[in-house]
Amino acid sequence: MAAVIELTGITKRFPGVLANDQVSLAVAPGEIHALVGENGAGKSTLMKILYGLYQPDSGSIAVRGQPVVLDSPRRAISLGIGMVHQHFMLIPVFTVAENVVLGSEPARRGRLAPDEARRRVRELCDQYGFVLDPDAELGALSVGEQQRVEIIKVLYRGAEVLILDEPTAVLTPQEVDDLFANLRRLRAEGKTIVFISHILEEVLAIADRITVLRRGQVVGMLEAARATKAQIAEMMVGRPILMELPVPEVAAGEPRLVVEGAVIAGARGRPAVRGLSFAVRSGEVYGIAGVEGNGQSELVEALVGLRPLVSGRLLIMGRDVTRTGARGIRLLGVAHIPEDRHRRGLVLAMEVWENLILGHHTRPIFGPGLLLDRTAIERFAQERVARFDVRTPSLRTPTLALSGGNQQKLIVAREFAFDPSVLVAAQPTRGLDIGATEFVRRQILDAKAAGMAVVLVSAMLEEILTLADRIGVIHAGQIVAEFARGAATPREIGLYMTGARQAEVRAG
Amino acid sequence: MSPRVRLTVLQMLAPLLAIGFGALVASGIILAIGKNPLDVYGLMLRFSLTRADSVAAIFFKATPLIFAGLAVALSFRANLWNIGVEGQYYVGAFAAAWVGFAIRGLPSGVHLPLAVLAALAGGVTWALLPIALKLRRGAHEVITTIMMNYIASALVLYLLADVFRDPAQAGTPRVRTPEFAPNARVPLLRPALEAVGIGIPEHSALNWFLPLGVVLCLVAAFLLARSRFGLEVRAVAGNPTAAETAAISIGRVQFMMFLASGAVAGLVGLSDVLGFFGYFDIDFPKGLGFLGISVALLARNNPVGILVAALLFAFLDRGAQGVQVFADVPREVITILQAVIILAIVVAYELVTRYVRTQRKREAERVILAPVAAAAGEGGA
Ligand SMILES: Nc1ncnc2c1ncn2[C@@H]1O[C@H](COP(=O)(O)OP(=O)(O)OP(=O)(O)O)[C@@H](O)[C@H]1O
Ligand SMILES: [Mg+2]
Repeated sequence: MAAVIELTGITKRFPGVLANDQVSLAVAPGEIHALVGENGAGKSTLMKILYGLYQPDSGSIAVRGQPVVLDSPRRAISLGIGMVHQHFMLIPVFTVAENVVLGSEPARRGRLAPDEARRRVRELCDQYGFVLDPDAELGALSVGEQQRVEIIKVLYRGAEVLILDEPTAVLTPQEVDDLFANLRRLRAEGKTIVFISHILEEVLAIADRITVLRRGQVVGMLEAARATKAQIAEMMVGRPILMELPVPEVAAGEPRLVVEGAVIAGARGRPAVRGLSFAVRSGEVYGIAGVEGNGQSELVEALVGLRPLVSGRLLIMGRDVTRTGARGIRLLGVAHIPEDRHRRGLVLAMEVWENLILGHHTRPIFGPGLLLDRTAIERFAQERVARFDVRTPSLRTPTLALSGGNQQKLIVAREFAFDPSVLVAAQPTRGLDIGATEFVRRQILDAKAAGMAVVLVSAMLEEILTLADRIGVIHAGQIVAEFARGAATPREIGLYMTGARQAEVRAG
Repeated sequence: MSPRVRLTVLQMLAPLLAIGFGALVASGIILAIGKNPLDVYGLMLRFSLTRADSVAAIFFKATPLIFAGLAVALSFRANLWNIGVEGQYYVGAFAAAWVGFAIRGLPSGVHLPLAVLAALAGGVTWALLPIALKLRRGAHEVITTIMMNYIASALVLYLLADVFRDPAQAGTPRVRTPEFAPNARVPLLRPALEAVGIGIPEHSALNWFLPLGVVLCLVAAFLLARSRFGLEVRAVAGNPTAAETAAISIGRVQFMMFLASGAVAGLVGLSDVLGFFGYFDIDFPKGLGFLGISVALLARNNPVGILVAALLFAFLDRGAQGVQVFADVPREVITILQAVIILAIVVAYELVTRYVRTQRKREAERVILAPVAAAAGEGGA
């Protein structure tokens, strides 16, 4: 079978890093090809080269056997290569159809033909079995549906090869299943898919072949049917990975974070959290399981003082902080790993060292007076970067030059500094490779053993089941059930998450 | 040359390219009135740079522009648009003038600083209302500062013509305040410069506000880069949502920066009022606040760049005078020329840097374009 895409000897250097080192990759038509590797291994870089966003320093690219120069995304699209962006480039006030055709609108005699657009979008959805309403306003769609719009948009431009860089990182498990169904259908229709993910179960479930990158080089290619998780992990990291995480037994201490009857407003003033209570004690991890959009984001923001409580009380370290605000809450030793690293977690234009002290910058150890003490900061940043294995060419590198996973590690490294008493973590391991995921989880457990109280919000039920001592299931802004570790099966929890179980109880 | 090196070189050359482009556009106008652009530019350069009085005049002209540019830039750095530097400096200058003529008999070490303090207070006062309205009520500062400009200009005219007009000038067409006490006036730079062997013409009003402006720019640059507060300012400008998450009070940062902007704005007119006139005259120079916007834009809000940009503007102004006198070009054309050059420079500079930025952005695929739900999170002045 002749390759549809053939990358040969691709090398790409950034200041201080060799992102791709003599990478060769052949993608067969009609296959789903997964690209895996540690954070910073060079996966995104390679895909950006294939999409014409970056130019390789050396190496060649052939599409359907023809050598090509991909000097812009426009060129890539004209050759049938499309990229589904992780940060959707969509306009919330436009409809689905308008978003899809935006940039290459169908026109009749120079005038926009909206019916034509709608018809084409409906055709594409029918052809590939996508459930989407062309007239729905984009802003009202879930993340999974918006991603579908992105895919249709790429197909509308005639893509034969689709690149998806960590498409599942922002999805709920149910949405991942839907996405995979869509991808299988696309494959059946003859499309070729290149797919990046850190979740090896997903890779094994969807891919035909798997290419493993390590430090910019290809270390091997596997047939998914014959590969195992352990085998891939070992190829990625270069040593066997322990996948078991021993959970320390800790006697829980005094309550450190208490929420009583919290009502929190969401977007457009509608209450997102409606009378919710729970308490987390020292030495305890409290997991909040739920389908995204059931009030978790608002709850997390309220816990760290970024969103006011409409009613109810918030107590941290025994103090009533209902009206205290972010500064005061932080001063009580509350650390916060936000769910959206680009929006809340980092100032991308600033350098690594600056982002590492953001939020800690008022501490006296970073300088006694008005000025920041560069030496102290450098020492601190150096230690953080080394301990959390943040791969960056230097501390003065702008944060936007870091790979996605390394940006996440930077945030985690920052928030674990100065022994927080409470950690509010939303999706702490999103975008991390297995090694880093395991490391961060271990940090959480170690800190817990040392007395920290943790609120863990995660879309990955598996993460909550591994780490949490108690699990609260959130649905429609309320905790509908609470379980101790091991007291409920994932299926049971799932029923509560979707609201099915609660309804049963009421009916009965 | 690798693309990266090419872009860096291009970025460094951007101001020069911009000036070249400005000159090119202006050439069209010069040709249109039947003169040779090369002659005109040659004259401009010779007149501005080879005569001691011109050089002194350029530095004198640049002095208020440094303050005005810095004032505007300080607000821009916090994602705020202080269009009110114009009004703030009227008020600041008049406050200083009042201290100058209304108080008598203070020693020089007291009277001048007092006048400067009054100017700072005047500028801050005039900035206070817009920023308070912005942070409390969400009123856009562009609108409110423009309104404050009208009020300031009317207020100062009223005070000048109807309240504090020098009675000694009654019956003459001159509308001005009484003369300041000598101790309120700022010492000239000439003695100090002569002491180090730099001669400047006797009539030059170049004064100590020039070094003060330079020092303020350097201090601002240093604090923005090295202080805690500077880090907060950069975080607020770079990504307000992330700054808020780091428990930085956006309102506090914006409040402080806007007042700092107003304070610096208060000093804009002092070099002229306390250094040259010695009284507050109805012909007191106006429009410096708006020029400050151009200066800040050209300097890309970099405090050190403001020094360069202010000198460039002053050079154009001086060169234009020379052309008017010696090349027999009508005054109106000179004004057009100046405006066109400034416009072309700002536009071309913006284009070049934007090009460089998008190229770099493409390199880094910098997606701050946040996920749809948070489309409002965009920042960066
Ligand atoms: N625009 C850039 N400028 C400088 N360095 C960059 C840039 N983009 C990527 N890099 C560097 O190249 C290396 C590879 O990054 P890349 O984003 O390809 O990694 P990745 O495999 O996608 O990692 P992750 O799993 O964390 O997303 C990293 O060391 C990163 O710091
Ligand atoms: Mg990546």
